[in-house]
Amino acid sequence: MTLTTAPRTPAPTSTRWAATLATPVRRALRHPWVESIVRESAVEDALQVLHPLLSLSMVRVKVVKILDETHSTKTFVLQPNTLWQGGLAGQFVTVQLEINGRREERVYSLSSRPGARRIAITVKRQIGGLVSSHLHDTVRVGDVFTISQAMGEFVLPAVLAPKILLLSAGSGITPVMAMLRDLRARRYQGDIVFLHVCRNTDDLIFSSALRTMALEYPELSLLLHQSDSAGRFTTLALQAAVPDLAERSTWLCGPSALMDMVHQYWRDAAIPQPLASERFVAFPILPTTSQGTPVAVQMVATGHQFVTEGNAPLLVQAERAGLTPKHGCRIGICRSCQCVKKTGTVENLTTGALSSAPNELIRLCISVARTDIALDL
Amino acid sequence: MSLAKPANLTREQVAQFEREVNAIRDGVMNNLGQADVDHMRNMVRISRASEIGGRALLHFGIGPLSWVAGVVALANAKILDNMEIGHNVMHGQYDWTGDPSLNSQTFEWDIACDGEQWRHSHNVMHHTYTNILGKDRDLGYSLLRLTDAQRWKPRHWFQPLANLMLAMGFQYGVGSHDLEIGRYKHGAMPKEEFKARLDRFLTKVGKVWFKDYLLFPALALWSAPRVLAGNFCANLIRNLWTYVIIFCGHFTEGVAIYHEEDCRNETRGDWYLRQLSGSSNLTGGRLFHIMSGHLSHQIEHHLFPDMPAHRYPQVAPKIEALCKKYGLFYNTGSLFKQYLTVMKRILTHTLPPRKLRA
Repeated sequence: MTLTTAPRTPAPTSTRWAATLATPVRRALRHPWVESIVRESAVEDALQVLHPLLSLSMVRVKVVKILDETHSTKTFVLQPNTLWQGGLAGQFVTVQLEINGRREERVYSLSSRPGARRIAITVKRQIGGLVSSHLHDTVRVGDVFTISQAMGEFVLPAVLAPKILLLSAGSGITPVMAMLRDLRARRYQGDIVFLHVCRNTDDLIFSSALRTMALEYPELSLLLHQSDSAGRFTTLALQAAVPDLAERSTWLCGPSALMDMVHQYWRDAAIPQPLASERFVAFPILPTTSQGTPVAVQMVATGHQFVTEGNAPLLVQAERAGLTPKHGCRIGICRSCQCVKKTGTVENLTTGALSSAPNELIRLCISVARTDIALDL
Repeated sequence: MSLAKPANLTREQVAQFEREVNAIRDGVMNNLGQADVDHMRNMVRISRASEIGGRALLHFGIGPLSWVAGVVALANAKILDNMEIGHNVMHGQYDWTGDPSLNSQTFEWDIACDGEQWRHSHNVMHHTYTNILGKDRDLGYSLLRLTDAQRWKPRHWFQPLANLMLAMGFQYGVGSHDLEIGRYKHGAMPKEEFKARLDRFLTKVGKVWFKDYLLFPALALWSAPRVLAGNFCANLIRNLWTYVIIFCGHFTEGVAIYHEEDCRNETRGDWYLRQLSGSSNLTGGRLFHIMSGHLSHQIEHHLFPDMPAHRYPQVAPKIEALCKKYGLFYNTGSLFKQYLTVMKRILTHTLPPRKLRA
């Protein structure tokens, strides 16, 4: 078996000076004695007044173009500031937006080619989705917001297999599209099958880009499974579309049900080639249990974990487990026990409100866990 | 006077009162949004601009008029930072925004009181055990005797003087409050614990002194005395103002004081009643409310410590109407009138209690 090696596009090096310059300043500003004279937030605000993209620590991006991909999907082309360190094809960023005074975070895959001066995220409007709707309805060209550096393990390796399958469904196309663009830019000479599942061609994201690519890039065979006409996508349909499946290194992104199906098939058929995949749901909302059902609580920073019993709030549960989290009033007033809930759902006992989104602040003394949770403690 | 309990309500009435207060709270808390954050960021901007302007006037101004203007601007910046911004942010009033610069647990302010120690002495002790004798250490700040229920000691002869000293150096009073020197002296606090608290307090004092009394005067070169005096006066003005506002919050006439045994098995409704009867308001315009950090709405603040404070004027009429409905005392008045009653209490309790006939 021959392996095709194609060099990875390196992260832009011309911008390293920005980080070299900003890091010591940021470190100095965080020194407690400097902090008491001038706050880092004041410096950040002043920089933003000078230029909206300026920052010592945050990747700030300006929207330079908004493209309509389908009736419900838009691509946002973004100009990042010089702190952006670049990303690999398949990676994602956390987008941070302030919506009605609240800071909201969502994760979106990069759909742009790595190494490009401008980056792109492609966003499908979710029904009732706060952030996707805000991006679609409110964000305009020229707006500025903050993103994280690129993250994620769902990437192409430096050494590529001779045969590749990029398999996606719905908006799962975004990271594999970045991979396809990357393969093209790396002049990959192997054999690529790009198989995408969507309802119909109106629903096909990147349709024109894909069409152009199929014409100009002979190594690529573009396959489309339109479930409106061809019916549900099954393993049989997969086998029929890609008969040499067992020989292909595969990258998979799509709805959970489809991904489970493909993974199952990979196991059943004992396919030797690697299958890499990424779930792109905004955050998993676990089914909430009734109050009092035992659930597992994980404390990420200290590595402690315990299982709850009964209806008691998390503070009491942690103390029963022999832990001593910081606390004060124990009745939800002083916020001494406030911490970041990384994942899972808790119920606020005073208001009855459920908190399901990741990274929300909760008070241990008035919260009960309604699913398995992870706390930043 | 001092042990005035709220009117005797039945358990059913207390529960009803709790529901009605909760409804007022929910009416605001379910509608927090951009306007609230904008208000706070505006205050932050004004405070910063005022500090820069004030320091610039002190450093580069010529003549006494610019010095006075500089002092006023710097005092204004510090008052806004401590009252409308710091105190409110540290109560978690803006935690819902997710903005790390408005996070209650990491905020630090421009005053000789360490943020973490403040969160303990104020948010935990004072707001939970408000006006409970022996639990709420804000009751006279372990310095003043304000009720007959506090035992008279000879040192209370000097109470008017102690009061004046506390007013002038209020930031140090607030800063050293969480040391609980009394508890340490009585052996109720281990030495290491006290030492750790003392270190924290002294470090914070060091930081504010370094800034106001060393770094900025030194940067002013030959104007060092002018800057030093200006910074001192700005701190003094802030101390006096915060002292007056805070003393009018719980030490006025007609404020109820509780014993620990009164507060066992308290429901949220009982807690609301204690907060209400233990606090007093000040009347005034919007500017006055902002400069007091909305502690002029001490009653609303104690009922809803984590509600963005600029919303208190909006809920105050509803709370007052509720008080009327349940026959409860809604303690409010002008700054002058309220402070007069505070002084009266301080002076009255300077004297030893008259012996009762056997």
